[in-house]
Amino acid sequence: MHEASIAQNVLDIAINTATENSAIKINKVCLKIGQLTAIEENSLKFAFDALKEDTMAANAELLIEHIPIVGKCNNCGKKDTYSEMFFSCSNCGSYKMEILSGEELSIKEIEVD
Amino acid sequence: MEKINIEEKILSKNIKKADALRELFKEKGVFVLNLVSSPGSGKTSILESTLTGLKDKYNIGVIEGDLQTDNDAKRIRKLGIKAHQINTGGACHLEASGIEKSLEQFDLDNMDLLIIENVGNLVCPSSFDLGEDCKVVVISTTEGDDKPAKYPSMIRVSSALIINKTDLLEHVDFNTEECIKYAKGIQPDLKIFQTSCKTGEGIKHWSIWLAEAIESKRKS
Repeated sequence: MHEASIAQNVLDIAINTATENSAIKINKVCLKIGQLTAIEENSLKFAFDALKEDTMAANAELLIEHIPIVGKCNNCGKKDTYSEMFFSCSNCGSYKMEILSGEELSIKEIEVD
Repeated sequence: MEKINIEEKILSKNIKKADALRELFKEKGVFVLNLVSSPGSGKTSILESTLTGLKDKYNIGVIEGDLQTDNDAKRIRKLGIKAHQINTGGACHLEASGIEKSLEQFDLDNMDLLIIENVGNLVCPSSFDLGEDCKVVVISTTEGDDKPAKYPSMIRVSSALIINKTDLLEHVDFNTEECIKYAKGIQPDLKIFQTSCKTGEGIKHWSIWLAEAIESKRKS
């Protein structure tokens, strides 16, 4: 359950940012999570909801944008989207893949009052 | 309602701390290994077998991570090696801040190798950088040869895979070639070792790799 640690980090960043911008309430927190990260969305939302109580984010909604795995083959150069972590080039079968996206684990923006 | 753009990594606090630790380890010339596996794969036994052979040549420190008990640290101390136990309580992984705090127990100026034995878990520790030079993942032959395919995130961030308990191969349905194929499909550059702490098979080969890594960190 490292989702609890992640949720706490999300809250800390969101609350610090909101406070710096003189906001009183956080309504939405938007994340970008790549498919290569080992994050379970339901666990993350559960942890976020538990930890947000009694903070300025008590009513905040957690929105998650999933980023697909995009790999570029270093053998033939083909760029493609992949659904699994275990992957070889869809064109030539090479395992020499460079990952272009899918590793994201970031907080994109918040909406505040 | 107002939108505030942030675009910050969620684990930026841990990443910054880990980067600072990495700088410190570089300055002191300490090679740092983050050893990960599921519970019971034999991480501590591998350390006992390996460190016995390395302790006369190198100054070694070990940080042990477990939810409870200092059993593992005690096992390492029996070898005459300095070990510090972190008890995470309920947490399933170690974080850079915990490592930073543990360093108070060690003399980095007189250390060549620091091994961090992470909490037994093949999922969570993959997300938390501890400032290490590399992660080494252990999979034992009693766990099933498709472990790399089931837990790809850990394989992807590891530099080496130790397939442990090879002495049990004749008793279990573990196909070593399949396991390596899955693992290399996720991380083609993965270095593979096959060990048994009962017979000593492969320990020498793995120890040589580790000693070379220590030497190159010392010089750099």
